[in-house]
Amino acid sequence: MSSYVLITGAGGGLGRAFAAECASRGWDLFLTDVSCDVLEPLAQGIERLCGVRVQTYAADLTDPDAREQLWQHIERQGMRFHALLNVAGIDYQGPFDERRVDEVQRILRLNIEATVEMTQRVLHHRDPARTLRIVNVCSLAAFYPMPMKAVYAASKRFLLDWSLALSQELRGSGVTVTALCPAGMPSNPAVIRLIDAQGFMGRATTVNVNDVAAGTIRHALAGRSLYIPGVLNRILRLAGEAVPPQIVAALIDRRWRQSHEKVYGSSRGKVDTTATATIAAQQA
Amino acid sequence: MNGNSDLTGKTMVITGATSGIGRAAMRALAARGAYVIGVGRSADRCREAEQAILAEFPHARVRFAIADLSSQRQVRALAAVIREYVNSDGGGKLDVLVNNAGTVSSWYTTTEDGYELQFAVNHLAPFLLTHELMPLLARAESARVITVSSGSHYGARIVWDDVMLRRRYGVLRAYKQSKVANVMFTAELNRRLGPASRIRAYAADPGLVSTEIGLKGTSGLANRVWRRRMARGVSPEQAAETIVYLAASPEVEGSAAVYWKDCRPKTPSCYARREEEAARLWALSERLCGLGDAEQTSVTVPQRRAVAPGG
Repeated sequence: MSSYVLITGAGGGLGRAFAAECASRGWDLFLTDVSCDVLEPLAQGIERLCGVRVQTYAADLTDPDAREQLWQHIERQGMRFHALLNVAGIDYQGPFDERRVDEVQRILRLNIEATVEMTQRVLHHRDPARTLRIVNVCSLAAFYPMPMKAVYAASKRFLLDWSLALSQELRGSGVTVTALCPAGMPSNPAVIRLIDAQGFMGRATTVNVNDVAAGTIRHALAGRSLYIPGVLNRILRLAGEAVPPQIVAALIDRRWRQSHEKVYGSSRGKVDTTATATIAAQQA
Repeated sequence: MNGNSDLTGKTMVITGATSGIGRAAMRALAARGAYVIGVGRSADRCREAEQAILAEFPHARVRFAIADLSSQRQVRALAAVIREYVNSDGGGKLDVLVNNAGTVSSWYTTTEDGYELQFAVNHLAPFLLTHELMPLLARAESARVITVSSGSHYGARIVWDDVMLRRRYGVLRAYKQSKVANVMFTAELNRRLGPASRIRAYAADPGLVSTEIGLKGTSGLANRVWRRRMARGVSPEQAAETIVYLAASPEVEGSAAVYWKDCRPKTPSCYARREEEAARLWALSERLCGLGDAEQTSVTVPQRRAVAPGG
């Protein structure tokens, strides 16, 4: 029986890095993303590079019907999984009062609803011969209330708490759950500009995607429930715990506005939504 | 010298032609009458570069094609556009292909094909584009494939067990590997074409140049180091001289030298001259570009076939 690694949001920077990492370990892949345009070249490239089998299925995971069809497809193929990497995530950053209702809904549907459903479903399609590794891509944002990314950060907080609880709940049942909390990752030019605009702190908190992917798989295989890539990020997180959340929010607000003004001119109103939506998707 | 030779009737392609060395080479070659197709990533920059050349040389025959060379799909689509241009106004043949476009990235970046960015843009794209344009090159009386390498190739090797450098990425490490790949590709292409071929491949070493290649995808220390290096480098025009020489000079005809710097042959690194290594890189590149019969064998690991049941 064929056993696969299921990766959602596989076409983004982190998704591609995960695909390459898993394939290099000889694992067959089942990749999903919204667009088949990104899935096809990736699947082909990974097959050529690593000689593993790569299946793809394009689906908009914010849509419950599309998720249903995806799982029917999996059922028909008789696929079994030994890992699920919930990478798909989205953000439309900028002031809350300027976001459209459907934008905010998409964040909740993809980041929370889809992730929870994919996880629930995969538990019934696991490869019985192997430990099932579940990875939930949260974010460092999960640790802080974040102005301008309020809904996103809160959705990641949900994922983090749920993931940690689930990890405990499933202990001993042959399922491990790992919450990955990375800082922004330099996976496209727009994010790289933002990181540079944050100066030293931006660079010091940034970890290469390939290292994040490799470290995450190592942590998942070791059964760890939480992985924060980067030493400085782990320190910042601990420091963040010691400071009252209202103060953290104020500090983040200041730093965010400064770096955004450098890149986009103004922190309010003029944010290019298409660009920032992709940025956030990459940031996961 | 290569000063005045008339290139009217010659058709040429230069990638990375909107800035730096590529732009300078395109300008120089177009000024002498060649029909030059430049390749760039941004439509705006292509338009700007085209206008700049035409403003200076109103009778120049230049055209631009847009492609992001990190994507193999786009490289193939680019080849189709070039074929169209060459067939409609280039006499149906390509005399010179200059694989100049290169990139640098301090952060690990994967392309849409799942490959490391520098290896994809600096090596695989030239490999694939050359393959795709081979029929056009074969139609020229004598054709040249010039790939821009660098002195950084000295001391570099191909990291066979981790070509995409996922385990240990470094901006220079990736750059050096891609540049030694350029020399190996050039040498192997010549070997495969054979000494009687009318197509010759050359690797050009532009020297230390003040272009912004090292600034584009880098930050912090790498960025600052590059700025210092830039200050000591020669201008893109001077750096383009070797490329222009290799593209235009009749003196190059028949030379078997692979690697050129300052318009003179130079010995590339010992590693770059190793035939088995170059052949291995060629086979890997074919597989990664989905060329030849590599496609069928990619799924099964060769060693495994040797111990197949009944074997």
